[in-house]
Amino acid sequence: MSSIRKPGQPGKAMDKQEGIHPFAIPFLWLGNKKVIDRFIWIPFFGLILTILIGLLYPQKHPAPWDVVPGSWALIGFVSYSLIVLCAKPLTFLLARPENYYGEGGLLDPEFSVENVEDEND
Amino acid sequence: MSFMPLFPQWIFEQGPAFLIVLPLLMGAIIAILPNRSMAWWFTFFVTLICTYTAFGLFQHIYFDSFLLYTMGGWAPPHGISLIVDGLSAPILLLISVMAMLTVIYALPASISEIEPKKRGPFYAAFLICFAGLMGMVITGDAFNVFVFLEVSSISTYALVAMGAARDRRSLAAAYNYLIMGSIGATFFVIGLGFLFMETGTLNMAEMSAILSDLDGGTRVSKVGYGFIVVGLGLKIAMFPLHTWLPRAYAYAPTKITIFLASTATKAAIYLLLRFTFTVFDPSFDYISIMLKYLIVGAAVVGMVFASFQAIFQSDVRRVLAYSSVAQVGYILLGIGIATSSGLAAGYLHLLNHAIIKGCLFISVGAFWYRFGITRVDDFSGLFKTMPLTMGAFTLGGLSLIGVPFTAGFVSKVKLILAAAEQEMWWAVLVIVFSSVLAIVYIGRIIMAAYFGSPPKINGSTFTKNEAPFMMLFPMWALGLMSIAIGLNAFGIGDTFVSASEIAASVLLGGRG
Amino acid sequence: MIDFLQINPGVWLILSGIICALIPNSFLTQLTRKCLVTGAPIFTAFMITQIFTSDIVVGGKISIAGIDLTTLRIDSLSMVWGYLFCLIGVLNGIFGLHEKCRITDSSALIYSGAAIAGVLSGDLLTLFLFWELTAISSVFLVWRGGEHAYAAGVRYLALHVLSGVILLIGAIIHANYNGGSYAFDHIGLQNLGGWLILLAIGIKCGFPFLHMWMQDAYPKASVTGTVILSAFTTKMAIYTLARGYVGTEILIYIGAVMTCFPVFFALVENDLRRVLSFSLNNQLGFMVCGIGIGTELAINGVVGQVFVHVIFKSLLFMSIGAVIYRVGTSKASELGGLFRSMPITALFCLIGAGSIAAFPLLAAFVTKAMIISSVIYEAHHNSALYVIAAMLLFASAGVMEHSGIKVPYFTFFSHDSGRRVKEAPWNMLVAMGLAASLCIFLAFPWGGYQMLYDLLPYEADYKPYTVDHVVFQLQLLFAAITAFCILKKSGLYPAEKRSEILDFDWFYRKCGLYIVKSINHTWNALDTRLSNATRNTYNTINKSLYGIFSPIGGFSKTAPSGLAAVMTAAMLILVLILVYFVR
Repeated sequence: MSSIRKPGQPGKAMDKQEGIHPFAIPFLWLGNKKVIDRFIWIPFFGLILTILIGLLYPQKHPAPWDVVPGSWALIGFVSYSLIVLCAKPLTFLLARPENYYGEGGLLDPEFSVENVEDEND
Repeated sequence: MSFMPLFPQWIFEQGPAFLIVLPLLMGAIIAILPNRSMAWWFTFFVTLICTYTAFGLFQHIYFDSFLLYTMGGWAPPHGISLIVDGLSAPILLLISVMAMLTVIYALPASISEIEPKKRGPFYAAFLICFAGLMGMVITGDAFNVFVFLEVSSISTYALVAMGAARDRRSLAAAYNYLIMGSIGATFFVIGLGFLFMETGTLNMAEMSAILSDLDGGTRVSKVGYGFIVVGLGLKIAMFPLHTWLPRAYAYAPTKITIFLASTATKAAIYLLLRFTFTVFDPSFDYISIMLKYLIVGAAVVGMVFASFQAIFQSDVRRVLAYSSVAQVGYILLGIGIATSSGLAAGYLHLLNHAIIKGCLFISVGAFWYRFGITRVDDFSGLFKTMPLTMGAFTLGGLSLIGVPFTAGFVSKVKLILAAAEQEMWWAVLVIVFSSVLAIVYIGRIIMAAYFGSPPKINGSTFTKNEAPFMMLFPMWALGLMSIAIGLNAFGIGDTFVSASEIAASVLLGGRG
Repeated sequence: MIDFLQINPGVWLILSGIICALIPNSFLTQLTRKCLVTGAPIFTAFMITQIFTSDIVVGGKISIAGIDLTTLRIDSLSMVWGYLFCLIGVLNGIFGLHEKCRITDSSALIYSGAAIAGVLSGDLLTLFLFWELTAISSVFLVWRGGEHAYAAGVRYLALHVLSGVILLIGAIIHANYNGGSYAFDHIGLQNLGGWLILLAIGIKCGFPFLHMWMQDAYPKASVTGTVILSAFTTKMAIYTLARGYVGTEILIYIGAVMTCFPVFFALVENDLRRVLSFSLNNQLGFMVCGIGIGTELAINGVVGQVFVHVIFKSLLFMSIGAVIYRVGTSKASELGGLFRSMPITALFCLIGAGSIAAFPLLAAFVTKAMIISSVIYEAHHNSALYVIAAMLLFASAGVMEHSGIKVPYFTFFSHDSGRRVKEAPWNMLVAMGLAASLCIFLAFPWGGYQMLYDLLPYEADYKPYTVDHVVFQLQLLFAAITAFCILKKSGLYPAEKRSEILDFDWFYRKCGLYIVKSINHTWNALDTRLSNATRNTYNTINKSLYGIFSPIGGFSKTAPSGLAAVMTAAMLILVLILVYFVR
């Protein structure tokens, strides 16, 4: 494709190292698989810690559910899991092909990545 | 605006007799004239003088009072009287004007239509027919009506038959007309006989007085009225009795068609009015029943049926002939409503229709004169080849339909108002419907003339070929007249309307 | 002399928008336009400070056809919106500096001006005027999104104009009940007018089943267009609710439902701008709910929430906008690992995500807590409200899911999509940086949030940074993140798939369209049949008429004289019968 890249167009075939922003170089460990795998311990310890503190400092205006220790943690965990687990049936019920309405959930072809890829092929 | 100073006094004194005697006499003279072109000049002057006289009488009636002329000074009931009143004067003027315009038109037309040696007798017959029609309208004597009716009819038969030079079918049409006309005249005279039996007089005024004394009279007078209505119905071309008319109009020489279409039926309608409203009286219950059921019924059915028939005709002259039957329906409807507004509307439509139909038939005659065409299909592109003639035809056609600012509109609106006054809403509907049908049959012709392209002759498009001035003059005079009535230019419209109102008041109010 | 202080300040923005639209195109005018875009909101804010000298300023009174209009009213409530809209106008202006588009600039100015003027108007008719103007001026921003946005723009315009019409009708009915006064004060639901106005507002601020335009149009607008759009329309609607429907109970339930249902849609949605639109809807739910509660604390919470919400929501839309600008898509399935090439944007996005999820020290924490607390305080008197409080907590976990985790995670982290792009343009970074620092500043425990609280309409003695608030909020958030990690590890977290998610707009985009189409189809078929039948009938009639009347037809046959004579005789008999027997 010989056309001039507009500023908004994706630059894709860049070298992996080349395209990295200098500010990002000290943080590249964030993409490390080990780090990602062990990331869970941070929120987990935070969770345990806050539950313990919550036992020491209970709610000043307790709701009925606040008799349970770590009530908000429970609510957060259950709600979150419930929401995410709803995804499968919801996808099954509601998801349709992108061109379902005929006008496309697609972006403007000028910007759209998939379009660019097609042209390169 | 008074034209009275233009007329010498003798016109008001002797004019009524003059109107009959002059054409009768001149008819006889023309028949034996050796010079053919002299015949036209004589005829023209006779019609001109008659028009002048009739106009004078009309003025007299319009501004003064009615005229009773006694033949030879013998007073009625013993003598023969001539009556010029608000009812007859406009028709007299109409007939003489139409006669004059027809004669103007006839100069070029007869060259192509009448064999040279027959032209003298043709003009003679024409004048006699004219005299008969004038006599029918002006006379105050019931039997004289019959005489003049026969005078005009017999000369008409001859005139229609003269179309044989152009189309042999005119002979059959003339024969048919002869039979039907004779039956009509016979019925009429039988009816007169009954009336004479009942009243013992032939003078109309006398008859009327006696009949009202008798409160409508016995069954004799009823039967007499029945015969008179049917007899006149034939002459009028009242709907089921109109069968003679289309062919007579279609095959007669074009100038005769013009004259017949605009005067003969009108004179007969005048007689119907005269007998129904002044000899008899609409307050007699059998008269009111006749008006309410027979006249209105025939009128309404005729308006619709004849309009349909007009739509499906392929010959323009037959289209116009059927249209005439339909228009007679309008007039009869106005008469059948029998109120002063209804009668005025009918009477106004009678005058307007004569003008409109005269204009239309003159232009159709001009088309025939130039191209020998009468079929609707052949009208294609006529607006390009004969724009002035087609323009006059369009004026007449629009007026016939009843487009605003034309004569037809004025009288149709008056008719609708009169019907609405009597709450005859169905009649209003029929008038509107029939006008829509008129749009179709006139529109068909005008569309062909406007949007069609002129025929090609030897590969080149036909260029302009306008009608001669002698034809253009009468047709435009009539076409502009109809517009002048619609626009009330120079007060002409008002004159017509007030003439019709005077006629209606004569019919309903004052006797004679 | 015109008293400039009597003129609604929004008018200045509208005027500058018109100037923007009229000046011809060249580099210099480009500069002028950009100066106007960023400068006009500042000027407007200055005008507000000049006008707002006492607790309530009323001005610009006009009388048209016997109706008294108050075109300017600034009090402690509308003032917040006025400043907020000016602030966000400046931020949007900076964000859009790179874009050389006359339409965007002028319609953004007119749109924000109309929103400010609407908020500062003191009667319902002026409100209606600007209400419609926001709709009409903003639709160009949607249409700037390209051809695929055209239909969405039309739907957007149709719904919003409809909303305005309903508002007008409601206002007229309401005025009839109130002795012809169009004053815009508490409206309530005493009469049909109140209900209609609520319906009109409901369309604008996305009540359930009236919300679809938001997720339909916002994701399809242009990069800057979405940022601009997200700030004004809905917040203007929230203002009208806060003005006219404080303490209306039905709003509590509507708001609670509004917070919960978008959570599920946002979860399965792939287009991140749509996710943010759902998130916006969900945030509006908190505000609507707070207005329904109607206590001073709740209203303070709502106003504060509006203020910070506009900032962090714009920040999120800006960061996703920057990503679209560089990468060309906002589909979660096609993004990932972008922190390597756009680290600054990623940082700002994280700040925005943390703000919306209400992490302590970030914006929403100090305001959302007020709303939830106000519900719980009220629930002490009316225990049914505990259900509402639970729903709000559930929705908070949901916010954490879609805005706090999903948006930054799928864009900047997740698996590396291999895209290496440039960092966002400087102007976007500046705008995002300003918004991000505001997010931090307005929640800063020592002197920051107090300034925000000073803006609020009521005296705020609420203390957000108590141990229990911080701890329990952190419990919720940590639990959510833990759950995310567990689900992600166990593979239960759904992978992003490209798809169109059906929403309530299916009923008019598909079902309605289908009905219209099938009606059209049926009609066409019927029409063909009908015209065939008509033609056939017409032909038959024509033929039979022709058969009767034409020269070859029976009626016009050359009738022999004998027949005519018989006819005459028949006529005579008829006549005689008539005259003889009918009496």
